[in-house]
Amino acid sequence: MAEAMKQTVAQMLKGIERYNPDNLPTLEHYVEIQSRENAYDLEANLAVLKLYQFNPNSFNIDITSQILLKALTNLPNTNFILCKCLLNERQLSEEPINEIIYLADILEQCDFQLFWTRIHSLPELTQKITGFLDSIRKFVCHVVGITYQTIEKAHLAELLGDVDDLTLKVWVNKYGWKEQGHLIFIANQDENIKTKNINEKIDFDSVGAIMASCR
Amino acid sequence: MFTDDFEQGFEFNNYDEYGAHTGDPNLDNEYNKQQLKMPEIVKNFLVYFRNCVNEGLIFELQTLYETSWPKLTEDYFEKRPWPEESEVAALVDSDPVFMILYKELYFRHIYARIQGGPTLEQRFNSFYNYCDLFNYILSADVPVPLELPDLWLWELIDEFVYQFQSFAQYRARLQKKTAQELETLNSNNKVWNVLCVLNVLHSLVDKSNIKQQLEVCASGGDPDSVAGEFGSHSLYKMLGYFSLIGLLRLHSLLGDYYQSIKVLENIEIHKKSQYAHIPACLISTSYYVGFGYMMMRRYSDAIRTFSSILLYIQRTKQLFASKSYQHDQINKQTDQMYHLLAICLVLHPQCIDESIQQTLREKSYHEKMYKMQYGDLQEFENCFIFACPKFLSPCPPPVDSIPDDYSKEAIRHQTQVFMDEVQQQKMLPTIRSYLKLYTTLPIAKLATFMAQNKNNDGKFDVNKETQSLLIHLLCFKHKMKNVVWSKGSSGLEGKLESGSELDFYIDNDMIHIADTKVAHRYGDFFIRKILKFEDLNRKLHNLKL
Repeated sequence: MAEAMKQTVAQMLKGIERYNPDNLPTLEHYVEIQSRENAYDLEANLAVLKLYQFNPNSFNIDITSQILLKALTNLPNTNFILCKCLLNERQLSEEPINEIIYLADILEQCDFQLFWTRIHSLPELTQKITGFLDSIRKFVCHVVGITYQTIEKAHLAELLGDVDDLTLKVWVNKYGWKEQGHLIFIANQDENIKTKNINEKIDFDSVGAIMASCR
Repeated sequence: MFTDDFEQGFEFNNYDEYGAHTGDPNLDNEYNKQQLKMPEIVKNFLVYFRNCVNEGLIFELQTLYETSWPKLTEDYFEKRPWPEESEVAALVDSDPVFMILYKELYFRHIYARIQGGPTLEQRFNSFYNYCDLFNYILSADVPVPLELPDLWLWELIDEFVYQFQSFAQYRARLQKKTAQELETLNSNNKVWNVLCVLNVLHSLVDKSNIKQQLEVCASGGDPDSVAGEFGSHSLYKMLGYFSLIGLLRLHSLLGDYYQSIKVLENIEIHKKSQYAHIPACLISTSYYVGFGYMMMRRYSDAIRTFSSILLYIQRTKQLFASKSYQHDQINKQTDQMYHLLAICLVLHPQCIDESIQQTLREKSYHEKMYKMQYGDLQEFENCFIFACPKFLSPCPPPVDSIPDDYSKEAIRHQTQVFMDEVQQQKMLPTIRSYLKLYTTLPIAKLATFMAQNKNNDGKFDVNKETQSLLIHLLCFKHKMKNVVWSKGSSGLEGKLESGSELDFYIDNDMIHIADTKVAHRYGDFFIRKILKFEDLNRKLHNLKL
């Protein structure tokens, strides 16, 4: 469904047509489909926010919340900031957008424990977004993947939202990590992260002229 | 021939006759009338100007536009408007195209130089004049027989967007408007409407096939093969190109950074091309692109964009130093870009070109960077507000709003978004400063350092400190890994990379640190010495004993 709509919607986003408020119902429907089918189309969602910016009377807080939550499922990309910039002060302070802004803030600071506590107290907020929690776990795995060589198993489970052993195993396997006793081996990082030395390289071409003039 | 007459007869600095009062009241009256009357030299200039437009004398037009107009403005119209439409129309047989062009310059002058700015009526009339101009150009069945210098075309589009910006700001300041003015504004919502402006820019882009031309150009083909009837005409082609830059600016002003960068697809902003020869246009392009990247947390891309254009400005400074009205604008934007670069380098330390680094070492920038590094949030905010575009809300405040000043809302919002980002990163500089001292460092030890740094009388809970340090370390890695462009036609493309100079990983409870070490650079030093020696040698040879 989402796939099928992608083409139609792409046509709606071309040139000046992008600002046609008549397209809003279709685009809003497309947002709902993305939430339901765990699909994502940043460009279409930004176009919706743009139409709200130009037609404040059409502003729909439910659709906006879904767009923002979908942007969170796309961390570590900065799509959330792009969406935030198209809203205004008043909209950001409205319930539940203020709550989503707060979630984004703690996720961006990688305070995952706090995030899980918070999200469990707000079960309805993300109900509409299929696969929301797993998308956040993917982001956690991304950050762990770039930070750790080995990490304590208990700590990893905590970061993933206090998952049980079985679930932890699923995630560890998914990323090709390895259990080593109470530790999880993530990857050999010293190959990617090593001290760089920047030396000056002077090739013959760049000094040719000056050498010629010195004869 | 006419050129000769013009130059001989009316040297631009021969205007003493308008210079002084006589002291005699009757004669002074006469003098005041003279003042209101159009000076001969201006009359002749306008008649000649019209001829050049009609005959398509492009080089002559360039001189008239870049030199004569500013010079006459300075001499006769420094603080007052150019002659009214009716006076000029009488001189040029009401030539419709020339009158539109004249009015474009006339209003632009009012916006730039007249104290108190344009009136409501002038803003409206300028808008209608732009409509006339674009209608003339866009609704023709065949390309219109008009050729204008590229600089003029660039400034025309840039001014069009600027006047929209100026109107939106003016519109949002409700507190000083009379009931009459509000009435006029509310009943004319189409004037300077954002959709109207977007429509003009998009139409110019479409009419010229500029996107297709750039695409073919980027793949090494001949743009003329896809230009079409209009697009191969210089007027349309250049208006199309500048409209893309106009869209970049407009989207940035509305906080739409994704669109702003997307609109430049197939333009490689650091590459020389047949379109990119107007310095002000190049500089403005890089300013908005760099800014968009910074807001998207693509610091490497922002730093690359700013450094590259600042280097270009350093090298070509002399070239545009003479044209004063452009010079002010360029200087302002340069200063803004140094501020933005400073912000990016504080958030994302990275090696940059030595000569740019040199400028940033100068006192004013150095002090600001130092304060930001030490977590002075106010300094971040000041730098941001100084250097950011003049953001605006696309819609006027609702009709029933209380009469207040709404013009600062948009800038406040964008500042807040940026400051939220800075706030999220505020622990990173401290962590970085410790990591820089080690190649390996146990987490517990760093936690102790961090706790002591907080100045809490040496009392702290190691476990709690370690917990919060681990969060900050994850945040460090997350924030320093940004999308970086390396190739492809769209500036939005790119891969996640860690481009900052300090990096690390955690192996259970030990941090392993990788720094970037820059060796001394000898090349420049030797070249300077060689040149100095050469010079000395030459002088010695020339000595005659």
